[in-house]
Amino acid sequence: MNGFEHATPGVLFLVILAMVLLFRELHRIQSGYQHFIRRIPGIDALESAVGRCAEQGRPVMFTTALTDVGPVLFACLGVLQALAKKVARYKLKLVVPQYSPETMAVVEDSLRAAYHDAGRGSSFDPQSLVFLSSEQFAFASGYMGLMHREKPGAACLFGVFAAESLVLAEAGQQVGARQVAASVSPEQVAFFICTCDYTLIGEELFGASAYMSREPVQVATLAAQDRFKVMMCSVIVWGVACSTIASLWPSLRILMPHDVLSADWLAWRAWIP
Amino acid sequence: MDTVSIGQVDIRRRVTRIATFLGGAYFFFYFVSPQSVIEHWGIQEAHEPISNGFIVIGTMAIGLGIINILSTHGSKVIFKRKGWQYSVALLLGFLAIVVTTASQWLESLRVSERVQSVQVLGDFAQRIIEDDQIVSGRREGVVKSMSPAGALPPLSARISALVHYSELQVRQIHADVARWRITPNTSQAQHELLNELEQASREVEGATVTLRHLSSASLGSADEGALQDLSRKAGKLASAFSLVMRKNASSTLSQRMYDLLYNGLFNHLGSAMFALLGVYIAAAAYRAFRIRSVESALMMIAALIVMLGQISFGKHLYSELPAIRQWLLEVPNSAAFRAIRLGAGVAGLMLAIRMWLSIESTSFSSRSK
Repeated sequence: MNGFEHATPGVLFLVILAMVLLFRELHRIQSGYQHFIRRIPGIDALESAVGRCAEQGRPVMFTTALTDVGPVLFACLGVLQALAKKVARYKLKLVVPQYSPETMAVVEDSLRAAYHDAGRGSSFDPQSLVFLSSEQFAFASGYMGLMHREKPGAACLFGVFAAESLVLAEAGQQVGARQVAASVSPEQVAFFICTCDYTLIGEELFGASAYMSREPVQVATLAAQDRFKVMMCSVIVWGVACSTIASLWPSLRILMPHDVLSADWLAWRAWIP
Repeated sequence: MDTVSIGQVDIRRRVTRIATFLGGAYFFFYFVSPQSVIEHWGIQEAHEPISNGFIVIGTMAIGLGIINILSTHGSKVIFKRKGWQYSVALLLGFLAIVVTTASQWLESLRVSERVQSVQVLGDFAQRIIEDDQIVSGRREGVVKSMSPAGALPPLSARISALVHYSELQVRQIHADVARWRITPNTSQAQHELLNELEQASREVEGATVTLRHLSSASLGSADEGALQDLSRKAGKLASAFSLVMRKNASSTLSQRMYDLLYNGLFNHLGSAMFALLGVYIAAAAYRAFRIRSVESALMMIAALIVMLGQISFGKHLYSELPAIRQWLLEVPNSAAFRAIRLGAGVAGLMLAIRMWLSIESTSFSSRSK
C-alpha cells in the first residue's frame, strides 16, 4: 500500500461504490420511496428539553467543541439548524461557544439561515456565538464560566472532543441542564455516558440531523451509508472466513480482502492480463 | 431590486459550488492517482503551495475570532450588562498578552538583526574568497558580489569595505560590552560571557589588521588564509555575541512579562483545569456506577474488573484478574471502538461526497419541484 497520501485501486473502487449508493438512494427518494428511521431517544429528549427551557425561560447551549471544518462539523450543523429553528420559534436564547474562528464563520452563517427559515431572521443575535479560545483548556474554562453564568436548561455537546469532554459535561451537570452529547471520539463516549442524560454514539451523530429534519437528501445519505456499512460488514465476514480457512488448511492459497484492497496499481497491472 | 438580489445570491451560490467542486476534485484526484502519475505531471511540486494556501485562508479566520471577542465583551462593558466585570478582566488580559507578545517579538527581531549584522562579516570574507576563485578559474560558479552597476568591484575596494565593516562591528561590540558591564545586577555568568565576547572581538580586530595592507589585484594563498582566518573568527564572534544578546534579552521587561503571563500563568491555569478531571472522574463514576439497570450493573462489573486487574492487589484476590482485564480491553472494548470508528468513517465519507458535489437539501428539493 502506498500509504495514506495515495489511494490504491481497491480504495478508489470503494469511494466510487459509495457515490453510486448515494445517487441510487437519492433517485429512490426522488421517486417517492419512504425510508424508516429508527427512534433516537437522545434527539427526542433534546426536543422536549427545548420545551422545558421555554417553560423555565432558560437558554439553550450548543457547542461543537474542538470540531474543525469538515464532515463532522456539517453533521453537527444539521442538528444545530433544526434546534435553532425551534429555539427561534420559542423565542429562546441560544448560546453557542466557539473554539475555532474558522468554524465560527460557518456556524454563524448556518445559524442565520436557520433563523431566517424559521421566519425570525431579525431575532438572530450574532453575539449568541461566543468565541472563547483556541486553546483546549482555556476553552473548557470559558465554557464552564459561561455555563455557570447563563445556567442553560439544555446543553448539547456535539462533535469532536478530547480530554476536556468531562469538564464540559460536568459543568452542565452542576447547573442542572439536560444534556445530550454526541461524539465520534470513542474514547470520550464513556465520559459522556457517565455524565450526560443521553449520548449519541459515533454515526448516530450523522443520523441525528436526518432524524430531526427528515429532509430527503439527508435521509438518502443515511440510507446510503447504512447500505455501504452492510457491504463493509460483508467484507469483514469474508476476511474472517478467509483467515479461518487459511488457519485450518495452510496449504490453500486464498485471496484475502486485505490483499485486494491494499494492492497498488502495479500489482493490479500484473493481475490483469 | 429583489430580482437583482436573488440573481446575486444565485451567482454567489453557483460560484461557491464551482469552487467547492474544483477544490474537492483536486484533492480527490491527488488522493486516487498513483504516485508515478503525480510526479510525472508535476503535481507533487504544486501540492505544497496549494496546501499552504488553505492554511493561509484558515489563518485569516483568526481575525474573526478577535473581532468577536472585542464586540461581545466590549458591548457588555459599554452597556454594563450582567457580568461586565468578567469582560473587563478578559479584555485587559487580552490586551496584556497582545502587547507583551508583540513587544517580545519585536525584541527578538532586534536581537536576531543585530546578531545577523555580526554574522554577515564572516560571510563577506568567505564571499571575497569564492569570487576570487571563480574569477581566476579555480572554481566553477557565478560571481555574486556585483555592484549595482553589474560589475565586480576591484578586490582592494572589497577588502577595504570588509575592513571598514569589521572595524565598525568591533567598535560597536566594545561599546556594548562596556555598557553591559556597568549595568547593575550583572551576574558572574554574564561577566564570563562578556569576557568571552571581548576576547572574540579582539581576535577579529587582530585578523582585520592583517588585511588592512592587502591591495594586490588577486589573492595569494597567504591572503586567502588571512580571509579564512577572519571568517572563522567572525563566526566565533557572532556565536559569542548571540549568546550574550539572548541572555540579555531574557531579562528584558517584555520577556519577563511574557514568562509571567504565558509560562507562569497560562500554562499553570491550563494544568489546573486538567487537574479538575481527577475530581470530575470520581463524581461522574459515582453517578454512573449506581446500579439502576442491567446496563449499569454490567458497566460496574466491567469497571471493577478493569480497576482491580490494573493494581497489584487484584492479583492476590484472583490470579487471573489481570488476564481478564486484558481480554476485556482487547476484545469487547476494541470491537466496540472499531464499530464506532467504522460507522463514523462511513458516515463521514458519505457527507464528504455530498459536500464535494454540493448535493444540498434546497437544490435537491428545487430540482424535484
